[in-house]
Amino acid sequence: MLPLENIKILSFGTGGVVPDAGKIFGELGADVIKIEAKDNLDFMRTIGPDINNIGQFNETNRSKRSFGVNLKTEKGRDIVSQLVKIADILAENFRGGVMKSLGFDYGNVRKLNPQIIYISSQGFGSGGPYSEYQAYGPMLSAASGVLSIWAQPDDPYPVGSNAPYPDHMASKHVVIAAIAALDYRRRTGKAQFIDMAQTEVAASLAGEYYLDYTFNKRIPKPMGNRSLYAAPHGCYPCKGTDEWCAIAVFTDEEWQSLCNAIGNPAWTSDPRFSDLLGRLENIDELDKKVGEWTSTLDTNVVMETLQAAGIAAGVVQRATDTLADPQLKWDGAIIELDHAVSGKRLYPGVPFRMSGTSPLKSTPAPLLGEHTEEICHDLLKMPDDEIKQLLEEDVLYNPENAKGAGGGMFG
Amino acid sequence: MTKEQEGALSGYCVLDLTDSNGAYCTKLLADLGADVIKIERPEGDPGRGIPPFAGDTPHPEKSLHFLHRNANKRGVTLKLDTVEGSNILKRLVKTADVMVDNSPPDYMAGLGLDYSVLSEINPGLIMASITEFGHTGPYKEYKGSNLVDFAMSGIMITSGYPGKEPCLLPGSPAYDSASVHASVSIVAALYMRGTTGQGQYIDTSVHVTSRTGLYPWIIPNYSYALNPGGPPPTSENRMGAQIYPVYPCKDGFIRIIALTPRQWDALMRVLDNPDVLQTEEWRSFMYRIGNADDLYALMLEFTTKYTMRELFEAGRREGVPIAPILSIADFYNSPQTKAREYFVEVDHPVAGKADYPGPPYKWTETPATVRRPAPCLGEHNEEVYCQELGLSTDDLASLTGGGIV
Repeated sequence: MLPLENIKILSFGTGGVVPDAGKIFGELGADVIKIEAKDNLDFMRTIGPDINNIGQFNETNRSKRSFGVNLKTEKGRDIVSQLVKIADILAENFRGGVMKSLGFDYGNVRKLNPQIIYISSQGFGSGGPYSEYQAYGPMLSAASGVLSIWAQPDDPYPVGSNAPYPDHMASKHVVIAAIAALDYRRRTGKAQFIDMAQTEVAASLAGEYYLDYTFNKRIPKPMGNRSLYAAPHGCYPCKGTDEWCAIAVFTDEEWQSLCNAIGNPAWTSDPRFSDLLGRLENIDELDKKVGEWTSTLDTNVVMETLQAAGIAAGVVQRATDTLADPQLKWDGAIIELDHAVSGKRLYPGVPFRMSGTSPLKSTPAPLLGEHTEEICHDLLKMPDDEIKQLLEEDVLYNPENAKGAGGGMFG
Repeated sequence: MTKEQEGALSGYCVLDLTDSNGAYCTKLLADLGADVIKIERPEGDPGRGIPPFAGDTPHPEKSLHFLHRNANKRGVTLKLDTVEGSNILKRLVKTADVMVDNSPPDYMAGLGLDYSVLSEINPGLIMASITEFGHTGPYKEYKGSNLVDFAMSGIMITSGYPGKEPCLLPGSPAYDSASVHASVSIVAALYMRGTTGQGQYIDTSVHVTSRTGLYPWIIPNYSYALNPGGPPPTSENRMGAQIYPVYPCKDGFIRIIALTPRQWDALMRVLDNPDVLQTEEWRSFMYRIGNADDLYALMLEFTTKYTMRELFEAGRREGVPIAPILSIADFYNSPQTKAREYFVEVDHPVAGKADYPGPPYKWTETPATVRRPAPCLGEHNEEVYCQELGLSTDDLASLTGGGIV
């Protein structure tokens, strides 16, 4: 048995958050139906030339079915209303106001299905002046204040990362909230609406910085990799181009272990480095000395030497490091899936094990409209000639009549 | 005090054996109404020593990291590595629904508190274990830290200013990634228990979860671009400044998300159609990435004519996402944050009164909010051990005297 067996979830998702949540719902056993349109594609289907062959999309949209439908038509909306009536959860992260314009805001959806749990995950959340602003992850790390401290002190300005943080953390909050709501419904019969703000997810994950402001009236500044209670604490350059190993030394005992592990060169006996306070005060020089030692060595040699001495050290991994990582291999953390268009590709697997469930499995991302017909047939009990007719009228989409869609980003 | 409204997880009891690195997992459950009992060693969770502190004075009740991540929990002390201590834990387990720990591999088993023992006492118990690198495997004994685990997660190589040292994301991103995944599996197991009546054991690690929680795309990006002899995919470099460029404006910096030609055209309207940027090549996203330095030099003249707010609002009007780079204080004071009442005033008996970041969602039936401050060390010993577990005050006094509690 799987935890979410027999649960049906409608996903009106785009980009990272709700699609990634849908992936997890699917891995936990739910039947996740992604509502997709040919002319208003999930943004992630448009960042490459072929809507069905994009790595990021095919990672995030695993373990769900795709239902292609034109929501601009009344017939299309009627069909989706039928799905709403049999769903347990509706999750959406369109721009604020879009679900209302489609007629699928919580008020309307609840009329169709009073037992549905509706979770809306918007960039800024509803109910304020920015509730209808379009938002992408990198915008939200900026607008939440987190980006302002995601930098080295001497950077001209903070840039964070090209990864869409906090999308993939917000998605897990969506899953936690939705399942908690499902459990509450199981226990009490009460369904509800959950209104998440992704900026607030970013802030919740860095809450102590906001408390520094509300308690101490201090506006936190970037510290880069420096720590208030560890030194050395940073990424140190290793042999090769842009190769780094992170090292974190908290206690004086760990410091002594590090000195021994690197053969006690003369500089390590400098009394300024003998205790944490001294190392923090002389951190620039300390970093330079540690960096001189690391720069002649391979990243793995630095990590293994220090770990053997009981010091936290780790390679700043690229994909190739991750694929060669012996612990991740041991865990089977990276899996291969065979996608209908993209073929055999690698993805992260389910990162936890549950002893009381059947194995949690990922399935490849669907093609746009791949499951439209089977969903009409099995769930909605529509006759085949009606399905055929609706496909011809472009009310429904399957992979054949959706051909030619996309190309937005590079077009 | 007003009557507490029920949370979605009200009625569930969670025994929380985690330190600061797992505290976000149980915070998520506590925010949703679960009764989370934080069980600390008698000398206190080392997380109480994490700076900075309220009022900048080091004090075990004033660590901001601790105050944030342990709000909504109750707290007791217990020395687990004693017979009396582990027996008390077993008594607590009888009526608990969930137990979470992030101790090193074999630690709980060494105390005779592994899942096979505890599930005999309570077959409905859900026990979640978070380790750094796993209970088994070649890195089992490796030491982790927030920085080190972040480095190994795959996101750090993309993080920071181009050409400089990769940069840590503020907070505890790697640990929190393990925490959110543990929470996901815990609520899933609770839901499943509603059908089966059975608990289960959940096993996860910081090392594994940081890949899916922070940057799951690094592996598929590599795998999809894999081309023997070709260059590595651009997503493995520090490209934050090229892909989502940041420009100065009158009163700070803004970040622009212009990916499609339509968004670029909208950006041009925002900036009043600068002649110098009106060539066809600038409409191409790939061209802009390849010529980011030139673009930066050209853009400066135009973005600096406006304030953050003017650009943010104009972006909304014209159809290109533009974000102000707000400070922590700016976010606290933003009209959106105020309208949503995101910050909640909390009064802590030692640290004092302040506004705390709340849970990141509003619920119509079961409000998620900050109901109580983080517990003081041993604050609920009497409540939990005497009133709920049924120990006498004499028992408690002798346990306290013996250093067990």
